[in-house]
Amino acid sequence: MKRLLVVLAVLSMAAAAWAAPAERYLHVRVDDPTSGQKVRVNIPLSLAASVIPAIDNGRLRDGKVEIGRFQANGVNVKQILEALKTAPDGEFVTVQEPGQNVRVAKKNGILIVHVTDTKHERQNVDVTVPWAVAEALASTSSQDQLNLEAAIQALEKAGDMTLVTVTGNRQTVRVWIDSNSTAAE
Amino acid sequence: MLLLAKIGTGLLGTALIAGGIVSCQGFVHVRVTEKQENGMHLRLVLPAAAIPIALRLVPNGRLADATRNVRPWLPAIKAAASGLADSPDVPLVEVAGPAQHVSVVKSGDSIVVDVNDRKEIVHVSVPLATVRSAASVVAETGSVQ
Repeated sequence: MKRLLVVLAVLSMAAAAWAAPAERYLHVRVDDPTSGQKVRVNIPLSLAASVIPAIDNGRLRDGKVEIGRFQANGVNVKQILEALKTAPDGEFVTVQEPGQNVRVAKKNGILIVHVTDTKHERQNVDVTVPWAVAEALASTSSQDQLNLEAAIQALEKAGDMTLVTVTGNRQTVRVWIDSNSTAAE
Repeated sequence: MLLLAKIGTGLLGTALIAGGIVSCQGFVHVRVTEKQENGMHLRLVLPAAAIPIALRLVPNGRLADATRNVRPWLPAIKAAASGLADSPDVPLVEVAGPAQHVSVVKSGDSIVVDVNDRKEIVHVSVPLATVRSAASVVAETGSVQ
């Protein structure tokens, strides 16, 4: 009987370990070939999910970041998310200005933002975010806030993917999520 | 003779219990090696349980500045320490350049910071439980003032 209980206990522990979801990580990699500087950041998403709501300082409070009149390359992020919420799949928003092009699309459940900036130094920014994450970001009643806490929770359910790449003359930046604890590719 | 044996056993037991209490939270390791000729070589191993006690002994006025700066971040620091304790070992931050290398790693129950630059090599390892309890002490210190 005792032996059976031990076997059952081991089996149940093994089942629990098998069923436990693997930790997901947010990685940031910055390479600056001109200075030889490299930065690697690996944050467990569960850690981000517990820390972000605890921050109550500056623009970040209650898991929400105050964006105010924050604009990314002249484009209001919140307004774009709101506009795309009801837009059919594949519809693009394009902003063309001297020195920069911004293209936003929703495709196969992914929000895609592509920015080409030639004003200061040639720089390409590509952002690909699961639509669920984009919706979570916009899930605040205030127009001036983005819901980071909800976005992190949505990211935990997303598959492995590159979220942001910035390619400039001097630096390259990559932000991605996967289940590896290191920034190895 | 029997009395002496009893006293000895009592002292030994007390020492063992005290040692257990002191070491149960682990140890803070600090190593600093200056690269210059005749540079300092510092190696400190402190019982982690002593850190919050030492913080309580610091006069409030001395901690005032630190408390003021850290206070807004205390909930986040506590949440990070708790979250890290539950997460697997992970190299959190690594900055590598021609002149310096900095890494922050969660290793076991500790957070380990290594800095290697032109002047010195610094290694600091702090148990996460100590980070939490030190944050609590700093928070209490701030509320008293």
